Amino acid sequence: ATSASFPPFTRLPHEMAAAESFLAFNPAARPGPAAASRRRYRGPRNRKKGWKRWSGPEAQLGREIGDFLEDVGLQERAAGGLISEQIFGITPNYSPSKIFRIIFGFFFFCSICAHQTPNGRKEKRRRQFWEKKAEKGIFPREERKLRARLNREGDPKKSPKSQKPPELGRFCDPLSDPLDAPLAGQDPWFLQQTKKMPVQRPPRLQVKPSPLPPVEVIGQGGSYNPPFQDHQVWGGFGGSWGGIGGPGGVLRGFWGVLGEFWGVLKGFEGGQVQAGHSAAPGPVPAALWAGSGVTRGHSVVTPGHSQDNDKARSRLVTLQHQALFQLRSLRRSLRFRDLELRRRRLLRERRRKILETAPKRLGRQRWGLGFWDLGFGPEGSVLRDRFKSLQRRNLIEPRARARSGTGKKSKFGGKKQKFGAKSENLGGKSPNSGGKKFKFG
Amino acid sequence: MGGLEKKKYERGAATNYITRNRARKKLQLSLPDFRRLCILKGIYPHEPKHKKKVNKGSTAPRTFYLLKDIKFLLHEPIVNKFREYKVFVRKLRKAYGKSEWGTVERLKDNKPTYKLDHIVKERYPTFIDALRDLDDALSMCFLFSTFPRTGKCHVQTIQLCRRLAVEFQNYVIASRSLRKVFLSIKGIYYQAEVLGQPITWITPYAFAHDHPTDVDYRVMATFTEFYTTLLGFVNFRLYQSLNLVYPPKIDSQAEDELKPAEGKEYAMDSESYLEKLSGLSASLARAVAPTHEDEVEMDEFPVEGETAELMDAKKKEQEALEKHKKLFEGLRFFLNREVPREPLAFVIRCFGGQVSWDKSLCIGATYEATDPSITHHIIDRPHLDKQVVGRYYLQPQWVFDSVNAKLCLPVADYFPGVLLPPHLSPFVTEKEGDYVPPEKLKLLALQRGENPDEESEEEEEEEEEEEEEGDNDKEEEEDESEKEEEMKLQKMEEQKTQSTQSNKVLPVKVTAGKVRVEDKQRLEQEQQSEEKRLAIMMMKKREKYLYKKIMFGKKRKIREANKLAEKRKAHDAALKEQKKKKKKARQA
Repeated sequence: ATSASFPPFTRLPHEMAAAESFLAFNPAARPGPAAASRRRYRGPRNRKKGWKRWSGPEAQLGREIGDFLEDVGLQERAAGGLISEQIFGITPNYSPSKIFRIIFGFFFFCSICAHQTPNGRKEKRRRQFWEKKAEKGIFPREERKLRARLNREGDPKKSPKSQKPPELGRFCDPLSDPLDAPLAGQDPWFLQQTKKMPVQRPPRLQVKPSPLPPVEVIGQGGSYNPPFQDHQVWGGFGGSWGGIGGPGGVLRGFWGVLGEFWGVLKGFEGGQVQAGHSAAPGPVPAALWAGSGVTRGHSVVTPGHSQDNDKARSRLVTLQHQALFQLRSLRRSLRFRDLELRRRRLLRERRRKILETAPKRLGRQRWGLGFWDLGFGPEGSVLRDRFKSLQRRNLIEPRARARSGTGKKSKFGGKKQKFGAKSENLGGKSPNSGGKKFKFG
Repeated sequence: MGGLEKKKYERGAATNYITRNRARKKLQLSLPDFRRLCILKGIYPHEPKHKKKVNKGSTAPRTFYLLKDIKFLLHEPIVNKFREYKVFVRKLRKAYGKSEWGTVERLKDNKPTYKLDHIVKERYPTFIDALRDLDDALSMCFLFSTFPRTGKCHVQTIQLCRRLAVEFQNYVIASRSLRKVFLSIKGIYYQAEVLGQPITWITPYAFAHDHPTDVDYRVMATFTEFYTTLLGFVNFRLYQSLNLVYPPKIDSQAEDELKPAEGKEYAMDSESYLEKLSGLSASLARAVAPTHEDEVEMDEFPVEGETAELMDAKKKEQEALEKHKKLFEGLRFFLNREVPREPLAFVIRCFGGQVSWDKSLCIGATYEATDPSITHHIIDRPHLDKQVVGRYYLQPQWVFDSVNAKLCLPVADYFPGVLLPPHLSPFVTEKEGDYVPPEKLKLLALQRGENPDEESEEEEEEEEEEEEEGDNDKEEEEDESEKEEEMKLQKMEEQKTQSTQSNKVLPVKVTAGKVRVEDKQRLEQEQQSEEKRLAIMMMKKREKYLYKKIMFGKKRKIREANKLAEKRKAHDAALKEQKKKKKKARQA
C-alpha cells in the first residue's frame, strides 16, 4: 500500500546511492546536490572578503551535511518521512563510516556554531589568567576602580555631601541672596561648575616650563668698561661667544664639569699619591728599603753568610718589590676607574640638567647655535633681549614674525575672511555658513 | 574575524594634546585673543614627546597645548569679556559706518573692560611666589617706562610703568635692599634682596633706544599688562611691610625742603608729584610716625643643630651686611649735569648717601653745587675749571665700583681724566683655575683689609714731583714684581706639568757634605717617577687615552691662562711705554 503511494519521481535509496556518481549525458542536465559538494573549493578567486568565504575541512563537512539535509527535506516533503526509515529502519547503502562522518559532522558543525565568539581562545586564556591573579588578590584595573569607588562612597569623611538644612533662628541678612546661603560647605566641584566659585588653578601649572632664570646677567665682557681679558674673550680668543657655548651659555656647564674634574684629578695627582706613598703601603716599603740596606751592610761586614742565602734574599726582595709595584698600580688603576666613573656620572647629570634647561623646539624654528647669536651678544636692545628670553624659557612659542608685506590678498578675499571671523563669535558655526547668515540676516 | 577594531589616535598621547587652532575654536576666540589669554593665564605651549603620534601621523609644524590646560581655560571669566569686546568693536564699527553718533557715544560709555586681579591672585597664591616672578615684571616695567611716546604702545601703559618703577625704586631706597649693580653695554643690571629673595632686573639706558622689528609688540604689551597689575599689588604690599603710605607720599619735612625758594613754580603740583618722586631725593612719608626707640638687642636663641661656628659666621655676615647698607652714610654727593642722574641718585640713596643736582636739570634738587658740605662731586668730563677745595671730584664709576666692592674705594683711580680701572661684574665669581685679572686680585686684597699698593701710590705721587728718579725707581720695582710674577708662573707650570712627565730630569746638586740627603731625595724622586711610569704602563688603553686627554686639557688650560697673562703684560708694557714717551715729550 505504501509503495503505491510513492510519487513516480521519488528516488529509492539505492537509486540515491547510485545518483552520487551519476551525471546525465544531457549537457543541460543539472548535476545533483552531491555533485556540488564534489567540486573542490579553491579559495577566493579575487582574494576579496576572504574572511566571508567558508572554507576548510569543516566547510566541506558542512556542505555534505547541507546536501544530506536537503535530501532529507526533499524526501520528507515528498514522502512524509525518510524513506529508508520507512522501509528498512536503516540505510544499508551508506557505509558505517559514512554514517559516522555524517552524524559526527553534524554535531561538530553545531558545536562550531555555538562557539564562534571572537578571540575566544585569547579571551579564555585571559579569563584564566585573571582568575589566577584574583586568587592572589590582584584585580584588573576596571575592577580595582570599581572597588575603590565603593570604598570611597563608604567613607563618610571624604564624601563632600553633608548637606544640612539651613539652621533656623539665626540672623538672616535680608539683602543677601537667599540662594547663596546653602552654598556654604557644598561640594566645591559643583560650585565651580555652576560658577559660584572660581576654579582652582591646578598645581601643575605653578611650575615654570623652564628652570632658566628670567634675567640672565651678561658676562664680564659685556661691561661698558670691560677688563682687559674680557676683550680677549669676546674678541675671539675664546673662539665662541654668545649663543650656547658662550659665557653664560648653556654649554658652559660642560666646561665647568671638566674644570671640576681637573680639580679632582689635581688633588688626586698631588695629594693622594703622596699620601699613598708615605702611609698606605705602610710596612712593606719601610721593610723593603731598610731591609735592603741592612742586608747589603751585613754581607759586607760578615762574610760568613752563604751566597745562596744572599741570592734567595735578593730574589725575594725583587719579588716583593715587583709585587708592591703591581699592587700599587692595581690600586692606582682601581682608583682611576673610580674617578672615571665619577666623572661620567657628573657629566651625565650635567647633561641631563642641560637638556632640561635647554629650550624645547616648539615651532618651525630649530634651536641651533646660530639662533641666539643675534639676541644675546653684548650689544643690542633690551627689548629684543627680553623677547628672546621669553621664547627661550618656553613661555611663548618661538616664531619668526610674519612680515606684513608678503602675500598680498585681494580685497574681496580679505572681506570674506572678515565675515567669517565675525560669524565665529556669533555661534561657533563654520565660517562660511555663518558668513552667509550674517550677510542675509 | 576579530573583535572591535582599534582606531588610531584615539588613545594615548594623541588625546592629551590639542592643537592651537582647535583650542582656539573650542574657546571661540580669535588668534590674538587666544594668545593674550594664554599669556595672562600662564598657559604655555607644550612640546609632545612624540610629535608625529600626536599630530596624527603628520609632520606639519603645529603648536600643541595640553588638553587639560585648555579645559581649565574654559572656566575663565575673561574669555567672555574678550567676546564681549569683539561684539563691541563690531557694533562700534557699524555705528561709525552709519554715522550714528548717538549710538557711538552710548557704546563708548558701555565699553567692556576687564580686570586681572583674580588672575594675579590665582597665579601667585603666596606673596613669595609673586616676588619670585618679579624679575620679569620689573625688567618689563623699566623697559616700557623708557619707551618714547610715539604710538608703539599706549601712553597710559608707559605712564603706568613709569609710576610703578619709581614706586619700586623708592621702596628699594627706603628698605636699603640694593646689593649689586653692573653697568653693561645694554643696560644696567641691579640686584636687590627683598624679603630674602634676590631680585635681579635690567634697566635700559635712557634715550638709547632702537626699535627692533623682529619683536612682537603685542605679545610684549600683553606681558606688560599682566606684570603691571602684579607689580601694583606687590608694591602695595611692600610699602605696607615698611609702614609707608601707599600711594607714596613725600615726607612733609622733606617736602618743605623741596619747595622752590624763589616761589617760581616748576609745574602744577599735581603734575609734578610723580616727577618729584622720581627725583628719588626725598624720603617717603610713613603711615605711623617712626618712634626712635633705643636699639633693643634681641635675645638670641641657638637653633638646634647649629654649631657655634655657624652662628658666628651668620653674625659676621649680618654685620657685614649692615655695614654695606650704610656705605655712603654721611656723604653728600653732587651730580654734575652731564652725569646720568637717575641711576646714580638711586644707587647713592640706596646706601644712605645724600644727593643733589643742578636745579635746572631735574626737580628735587636739595642743595646747590656751592654747598661747602659736599664731599663728593661726580663729574664726567676731563677736567673742571673751578674746583672747590674740600671735596673729591670723581668719575661716576667710583660709585658703582664702591657699591660692588662693599667699601669706599680709594679715590685716586677715579679722578677726572684718569684712565679708569675696568668695571668688573659683581655677578661673576671666578672658580679655581680661572684667570683672575689683577684688578680683581687687588680688590679682593682690599676687601680683606690689606693695602697692597699703598707704597706704590705714594711713590707715584712722589714721582710726579720728582720725575726722573721716581720713575726709574718705580719701573725697577715694577720690573722686579713682573719678574717675580714670571717666576711664579713658571713654577706653577712646572708643578702642573711635573705630574704628567714621567721621567723628568731634576736638577740635582752634588755637594760633599750632603751626599746622603741628596741621594735619598733622588731615590725618592726616582721611585716616584718609576711608580708613575709603571702605573701608566699598567693602565688599560682606554684609561690611558683618557688620562692623556685630561693631561692635555690641563696643559692647554694652563697655556691659555699664561697666554692671557702674557698678553696682559704686553699690554701693560705698551701702556707704560706710552706714558714714558708722553712724559718725555712734556719735559722737552
